[in-house]
Amino acid sequence: MRKSHPIRRVVLATAATVSGVVLLLSLKPASDPGAAAAAGGAAPQQTAAAQESAQGGAQAAASGTVTGDAAQTQYGAVQVRLTVNNGKITKAEAVQAPKGGQSDRITADAVPKLNQEAVAAQGADIDAVSGATYTSGGYKQSLQSALDKVKAAEPAEGSSQGSGDGSGGAQITRTVTGKAVQTQYGPVQVRITVSGGKITEAEAVQAPSGGTSSQKTELAVPKLNQAAVAAGSADIDSVSGATYTSTGYQQSLQSALDQAGG
Amino acid sequence: MTTTLAGGRAARRQTMRRIRPRRSPATILLIALWAGAAGVLWLWWHNTPSIADNNSRILNAGRITGLLAGYLMALVVLQMARVPALERRVGSDRVARWHAMSGRYTICLVVAHVFLTMWGYALQAGKSLGDIVQQTIDSINQLPDMGKAAIGTGLLFLIGLVSIGGVRRRMPYDAWYHIHLMTYAAVFLTFWHQITTGNDFAVEPTAKTVWYGLYGTVTALVIWYRILTPIRLNLRHRMFVEAVIEETPGVVSVLIGGRKLHRMGAEAGQFFRWRFLAPGMRFSSHPYSLSAAPRPDMLRITVKAIGDHSARLRELTPGTKVWAEGPYGAMTAQRRSRGKVLLVAGGVGITPMRALFETLPGAAGDITLLYRANSTQDLALWDELAAIADERGARLMYAVNSPDGERPDISADSLRRKMPDIDKHDVFMCGPNGFAQSVYEALRGAGVPARRIHHESFEM
Repeated sequence: MRKSHPIRRVVLATAATVSGVVLLLSLKPASDPGAAAAAGGAAPQQTAAAQESAQGGAQAAASGTVTGDAAQTQYGAVQVRLTVNNGKITKAEAVQAPKGGQSDRITADAVPKLNQEAVAAQGADIDAVSGATYTSGGYKQSLQSALDKVKAAEPAEGSSQGSGDGSGGAQITRTVTGKAVQTQYGPVQVRITVSGGKITEAEAVQAPSGGTSSQKTELAVPKLNQAAVAAGSADIDSVSGATYTSTGYQQSLQSALDQAGG
Repeated sequence: MTTTLAGGRAARRQTMRRIRPRRSPATILLIALWAGAAGVLWLWWHNTPSIADNNSRILNAGRITGLLAGYLMALVVLQMARVPALERRVGSDRVARWHAMSGRYTICLVVAHVFLTMWGYALQAGKSLGDIVQQTIDSINQLPDMGKAAIGTGLLFLIGLVSIGGVRRRMPYDAWYHIHLMTYAAVFLTFWHQITTGNDFAVEPTAKTVWYGLYGTVTALVIWYRILTPIRLNLRHRMFVEAVIEETPGVVSVLIGGRKLHRMGAEAGQFFRWRFLAPGMRFSSHPYSLSAAPRPDMLRITVKAIGDHSARLRELTPGTKVWAEGPYGAMTAQRRSRGKVLLVAGGVGITPMRALFETLPGAAGDITLLYRANSTQDLALWDELAAIADERGARLMYAVNSPDGERPDISADSLRRKMPDIDKHDVFMCGPNGFAQSVYEALRGAGVPARRIHHESFEM
C-alpha cells in the first residue's frame, strides 16, 4: 500500500504518451525508403497491361496509347499515358496523380502544364512545375518509362495499325470510358483498354478522394483494376473496407464493357 | 448467543489445511497488456511507409492515439467482466483501480484522437485549425459509422464526467452505476468506425480479424461472467434472508440461507455483491464481506450502517429473496506465505478478518488479531472472536480510544513491543484508508516486508 501520488501519475502518463508519440513520428522517414521497391511491386500489373497492350495491339505501339509505370511520390502515385502517332507524342495525360485536400489543387494546377510540356518536348526532358516538385518528379519518371516502352515497340512500326479513342475503323486496341457512377463518397468512373476482345488494362479516372476516402481509393482501386483485367468482365469481388467504391467501380466497368461490346 | 457461527465443521477442517501460497498473476497480465500495446503500435508502424509533412504528422498522431484508445477500451471493459482470475487472484480492489486508471487514460486518448484527426482532416482539405468544428460535422456526415461513433464518444465523455471524484461523491451510487453501465453502449457504438474508417484495419485484413477477436472475446467474457454465471449461481443456491441481528449499535449481521452454500467455492476473506429483492433495494447491489466461514446452510455478512443501502439492511424481513454474485476478492489464505499471521481490523473491517481468524491454517500461537475501534462498545463480534481465540489458542488484542478521546498508539515501536517477532508475520489488513495507511507505515517501520502486507481497499 504505497502512497499514491495522483498528480505525479498524471504528469508522468502525459509526458510518456506525448514523448512516445512524438518519438514514433520522428522515427518515420520523410520519404518512403520502400517506395521504389513498392512501386516495382505494385507496377507489374500496370507494366504487364501496358506491355500486353503494346503487343496485343498488334505491334501497334508506334501508334496508339502507352501507359508508363506508376511512380510513387510521398503524396501518391503519378502515372502518365501517352498517345503516340507515328512515333510522335500527340497527347500526354496523367491517369493517376496525387489526390486529397491540398493535393487536388496542386494536381489540377500542375498536370495540364506537364502534359503540355511533354507534348512540346517530345521527351522526358521537361521542367518541374514550381510548387509541385514531387508531382513533377513522379510525372517525369512515369513519362520516361512510357517512352521506354514506345521505343521497345518501335521495330514493329511497319505493320502498325491506328488505334485510340474514336479513331474509327477496325480497331484492335480501344480505350473506352464507362459512365461515372455516383457513390456516397463521390463519383467512380472506369476506363478500360480492350484489345482483341480482352481487357488489357483497367483504371479509375475518377474515384472518391479526401480524408479517409483517399486512403481507401489508393488501397482499393489498384486491386479492382487488377481484378477487372483478370476477370475480363464486371464480375469482380468487392474490396473489403471499400464497398461503396467497389460497387461503383463494378457499375462503371459494366457500362464501359457495354460500350466496348456495342 | 444465537449469531455465533464459530466452530463449524467446515471451518475446523480449513484450519488443518497446508499452507499453499499462490502468486498473483498480476505481473504476467501487466506484461501481456504492454505487449498488446506494443503490437498495436507495431501495426501502425508497419502500415505507415513515411511521414512527409506536419499534416501527416498530426493525422498519424491521431491514428496512434485512436488505435491505443481502441485497444484500451476493450481492456477497460475486460477489467469489469468479473473474470475469476482477476477478481479472486489479482484482487477485485486492485482490478477496480486498474479499471479507473485505464478508463481515465482511455478518455484522454479519445479526446486526443478526435482533436488530432479532425485537425489533420481540416488541414488536408486546405482549411485551418479554426475550421475543426465544421470538419468534425462534415466527417460525421460523410464517413461511414461516424454518426454512431460520435454518439458513443458523447456517452464516453458523460461517463468520464460523472466518474470524476467530486461529481461521483455528490451522486447517489445507483445513478452513477447505471450511467456507468452505458459504457457498453458507448463501446459498441464506437467500435464500428474503427473497422470501417480505420486505415490499419482497411489495409490489413489480419489486423481486422485480430480486432474482431479482441472485442469478441471481451464480449463473450462479459456475457459469461456477468450474466450467465450469476444466473446459474442463484438458480442453484436460491438464497434468502434467514435473520437480521443487531451486533452493536449501527452494525447488523444478515444471515443468509440457501442450498448447498458450501459448493459456491467461497473462502474466508472473500465477498459477494448482494442484491436484496425487497422494495427499494432490488435495483442496487453492494459488496459485503462474509463475516464467517461459509456453512452448507448458511452465510453471514456483517455490515455497518454508513450509506442508504447499509442502513436499510436492518429492515429486511426473513424470507426476502437474495441475488448474489461472487465470490470475489483475493485476500484469502492463499495470499499468505509463512506460518505466522497478524490480522489487523479497523472498525467494521473486522468482517473478513473474523472469517480469516476462524479459518486460517495455523497452530496455537500462530494467529494474532488486532482489532481497532472507537470504544469497547464498538467492538462488533467480540464474543465470537474471544471464543475462537480460546479454541484455537490464538491471540486477540484490541485498541480503542481512551475515555478522553485520545487515539491508541499503533506505531512501529508499540507493535514491536507487543510482538517482538512481528517481522516474521504475514499481515492481513482491512479498514478505512487512513487507518490502513498509518498501520502500513508502522508495519514497514517494524520490519515487515511490503510484499507480505495484504490489504484490500475499495476507495479509489
